[in-house]
Amino acid sequence: MPVSDDSDTDPTGMMLAVTAESLYLANLLLAPGLAFLALALLYARRHASAPPLAAAHLSQTLSASLWAGLLLVVVNLLILTLGGYHTTHTWIVLILYFTLAHSTLVVCGAIGLARALAGQCWRYPLVGRPLPDGCPRGMQP
Amino acid sequence: MQYKSQAVAKPYFIAAIGLFVGQIVFGLVMGLQYVWGDFLFPEIPFNVARMVHTNLLIVWLLFGFMGAAYYLVPEESERELQSPGLAILMFWIFLIAGALTILGYLLVPYSTLADLTGNALLPTMGREFLEQPTITKIGIVVVALAFLYNIGMTILKGRKTAVSLVMLIGLAGLAVLFLFSFYNPDNLVKDKFYWWWVVHLWVEGVWELILGSILAFVLIKTTGVDREVIEKWLYVIIAMTLITGIIGTGHHYYWIGTPDYWQWWGSVFSALEPIPFFMMTVFAFNMVNRRRRNHPNKAAMLWALGTAVMAFLGAGVWGFLHTLSPVNFYTHGSQITAAHGHMAFYGAYVMIVLTIISYAMPMLRGREAANSNRSQVLEMWSFWLMTVSMVFITLFLTGAGILQVYLQRFSDNPQPFMVVQDKVALFYWARELAGVVFLVGLVVYIASFFVGSRDAEAVTSTAE
Repeated sequence: MPVSDDSDTDPTGMMLAVTAESLYLANLLLAPGLAFLALALLYARRHASAPPLAAAHLSQTLSASLWAGLLLVVVNLLILTLGGYHTTHTWIVLILYFTLAHSTLVVCGAIGLARALAGQCWRYPLVGRPLPDGCPRGMQP
Repeated sequence: MQYKSQAVAKPYFIAAIGLFVGQIVFGLVMGLQYVWGDFLFPEIPFNVARMVHTNLLIVWLLFGFMGAAYYLVPEESERELQSPGLAILMFWIFLIAGALTILGYLLVPYSTLADLTGNALLPTMGREFLEQPTITKIGIVVVALAFLYNIGMTILKGRKTAVSLVMLIGLAGLAVLFLFSFYNPDNLVKDKFYWWWVVHLWVEGVWELILGSILAFVLIKTTGVDREVIEKWLYVIIAMTLITGIIGTGHHYYWIGTPDYWQWWGSVFSALEPIPFFMMTVFAFNMVNRRRRNHPNKAAMLWALGTAVMAFLGAGVWGFLHTLSPVNFYTHGSQITAAHGHMAFYGAYVMIVLTIISYAMPMLRGREAANSNRSQVLEMWSFWLMTVSMVFITLFLTGAGILQVYLQRFSDNPQPFMVVQDKVALFYWARELAGVVFLVGLVVYIASFFVGSRDAEAVTSTAE
């Protein structure tokens, strides 16, 4: 999704928020690494001047992506290194762990995208930074 | 309840829940037989317990879908049901035929049941999930035709909405595709090829349309979001379902004697099958986030969100796990398939039926919109007990599957099937334990219909 520099076309920052969440999901599902670079670039260029909604989604997705890298790459490498490549139990732990961790991160991203589409902020559980003041959070139960 | 004839949904929902209990009991029996081979033998052999477990699942989900249609179609069409009497008659025919079939499985040997029911005249028995005697299959067709007439006429004479039309297409597809259960060629490749037209095109095709329409209906009612917004999502979701799911049937054609091109078609299209489920998750959360009111039936909202997430995990993620042809070469028919089957059926279809029951039952029992707080708290407990235990069932079966594949098919010294079964027994015990927790959750669910039934109704929050 193209991101306009003109704040008149996206005054609430919703498009930028949706782009950030989409890049987070793309990093997990379609183009690992490449989508993260695009997200990091977007964060560097737009975060400071973005409206609260977009700024929150940019920082949440960047932080969650870094954690995702740690959880999916580093931890899996550790499991493989410590457990050994030719051990059955390594593969049981590794596949179960990867599937669970990856799908949890994807579901969080889906919720984040749904929030962005609704013009609301979303804090990633455990790995997300606290939300700034003035961030729309929608109807509370 | 806006229309009196919606009341016919109630017996369908009650029967669905009753048969659900039967399914879980037989699941536990079978789970125990995995680790205690002669448990209840010869009274209930493993193959019979498995047949009852899977057949009850299909039958109670069909009861749930029919109940859902009878509840939502009058409201969508803004008119009474074409023939409530016919709906009640078909209910009893379906219930009695279903009960007799299950009793047949349990009381006489399968081959005797085939002889007794005249299978030789039109042989259709003996295939997984389609074990029903031919006469039962004919009964299902009759019930389906009467049901479609009832629902179809109500829709055609009333207001036509995307929700009711998608549901009608799903139900018509369900009935038409079931006709392939009567095609039983001698050629085993052809037999399997068309068998999947019933099994796969039901659960990864037309049933998803039914799921989408029920979810859309409940979200329209509980969130107050504009129907147009929800219908646009529904169109895109069902389009993606059909685009990916129809050719995605190819992931069943890898190793059954079909041409090699199915390896590619099956892999590519079924790898796309998680997309509609992912969209459903975003859709459900987006609608709840954009809601204009806080509906008092919080339990129904929880089921609606739960079905979206669990369907994505079970059908989408766990399906993708073993859908690519080079992976499926090793995992085909292992416990990984069982893990996927359990979570996908629970997430996509069990939970959507429980969603519509949760939404509709308070009104069917005379409430304005929702049960009492006490009842809802209990229902939400049952949601978490069943959902968390199903996650564990899936994880334990996945662990068993990985070990099974490694020892039996992947290692340098492959071991025989039964030797490997002994080695994965720990996972089976853990799965059985999780199954017991699931049963506890189901008991709590049933208790939620009785506890707090005399308390005041939960209050509607005011809209912002």
